[in-house]
Amino acid sequence: MNSIEHTQDPDPFRRVKVYVTRDIAFNLDKMNQVTKKVLDRLGCEGCHSGRMIDFHIIEDFVVNPKLELQDLPGGRF
Amino acid sequence: MRPLGVGLVYFQELDSLFREGNPELAVLELEPETLWEKFHPEGAGGEPVYLPNTEVIARIAALPQKKLVHSVGFPVGGAKCYGGDYVTPLAAAVRELNAAWASEHLSFNTFSTPSGLEQVGFLLPPRQTREGVELAVHNIRRLALGMQAPIAFETGVNYLKPRADELSDGAFFAGIAKGANCGILLDLHNLWANERNGRQPIEAVLDELPLDRVWEVHLAGGMLLDGYYLDSHSGAIAPELIDVAARVIPRLQNLGALIFEIQPGYVPRLGLAEVRRQLTLMNELWRLRPNERIIVSSAAASSMGAKEIPDDISQWERTLGMLALGHWPGDGANGSCGLVEDPAIPILQKLIGEFRSGRISRALHFTTTLMLASWGSERVHAFLNEYASQRYPDIFTSGEADRFACYLSEHLDHLPPAPYLRDVLRFEHALVRAALYGESAKVQWDIDLTELFDALEQGCLPAAVTPQKFTMEIAPDF
Repeated sequence: MNSIEHTQDPDPFRRVKVYVTRDIAFNLDKMNQVTKKVLDRLGCEGCHSGRMIDFHIIEDFVVNPKLELQDLPGGRF
Repeated sequence: MRPLGVGLVYFQELDSLFREGNPELAVLELEPETLWEKFHPEGAGGEPVYLPNTEVIARIAALPQKKLVHSVGFPVGGAKCYGGDYVTPLAAAVRELNAAWASEHLSFNTFSTPSGLEQVGFLLPPRQTREGVELAVHNIRRLALGMQAPIAFETGVNYLKPRADELSDGAFFAGIAKGANCGILLDLHNLWANERNGRQPIEAVLDELPLDRVWEVHLAGGMLLDGYYLDSHSGAIAPELIDVAARVIPRLQNLGALIFEIQPGYVPRLGLAEVRRQLTLMNELWRLRPNERIIVSSAAASSMGAKEIPDDISQWERTLGMLALGHWPGDGANGSCGLVEDPAIPILQKLIGEFRSGRISRALHFTTTLMLASWGSERVHAFLNEYASQRYPDIFTSGEADRFACYLSEHLDHLPPAPYLRDVLRFEHALVRAALYGESAKVQWDIDLTELFDALEQGCLPAAVTPQKFTMEIAPDF
């Protein structure tokens, strides 16, 4: 494959490389950010026995992109 | 030794606090599994190995605070731990951070099924009997052998009703601490949650504990959900819990660290200024401790072989595990240890469901966004519930994401249309599988995918995307 290396975080922890053909026209830095978003978050979550809100944050954002933080349905602090 | 002081559990979201020279932040507690990746060198069916992010751990080790290690993935309360050698990387974390001691949860998160070991994806309460004490003692001694560091166990949260056929919470913790000759991580927020949810009052628990074994105290904030007070690490410490801590700390002659816990997802809500205020409050509590010197003794490590697991414990773990995952345990109501009737089962099911969807949305961020933007919340929740009823969880985000991506791929033809979903899923799934199994994959694109991802990052579908044909190769790099 005639390809260029899609350079990623130099962190040695990164064990995945993404290659794309040399003649593509889009922004490689953007692609780096996208792949990093996936690869940076593959471990365990921390210790707690409550609500994990990662999905709800995306859900709220997609439903109403202008709201960055909303109260969780049913959750009271 | 000298006590360590007041600290925080480390997360990237709190990193700046550890670098600002705040004298009120003396301790960094690391949950090392949050910096591990799971890898199956022999493919999907093989035993996993755990690969620590050594560069990030080295950066953390260089921070000025004293260090503690708090394991979150391999609890000491159950019959089995999930496969693979986890002790070696845990011991490495203790060594690299020069941690004064390490702690683990007195819970279980794995259970035996007819087809093998499966995970619950959550920390569940162990069987609280004399045999349960013996099992935890065995597990702690075996862990101490591999860790070569003093070990403490955390007093866990338990949303179940107290049971007549079990020891009190305090007697259970005390029996284990004495039997294993180990330390106690006294999680006052857990005990306060237990009391508020109908279990043994916190003062009664403390009266049964060997308080000289308490090396560390955890404090946190929680929330109410469906009538339960949750150990959610979701905010500031409640004033009532501050009062409890102020009464308890003067009794803890070997208290070495006082740690505030907050989930990274809630840090924006609380704000870093408020986290600093929590540290100030905790330093006021810290000054109430009785001693300037403490004794932290090593657990009695032993090279015991495999322990025979009593049927009662196996049945407890299988039944509670299955019920918490929303499956009928299959032994009939009489064989369910009475757990079928416990009112906490629905809240456990809800929380585990949120843990699973949280893991999926972390690794498959754009797939999740695309599903939500195309189908709406209700349909996505229904599909996530359907998936959860068909597949067991994985505590590693990569493992859960792989299982979900496989399930979604199998069902795509029968789901409502969602533009580009097949391509985005194939891309994110290939990244996950390259990291998890070392697999290579080629993904064909017909569009400028950065335009697509730009739109998804705005929470919407793109109006139009520039056509562009190209091949992307995703490959392991080791």
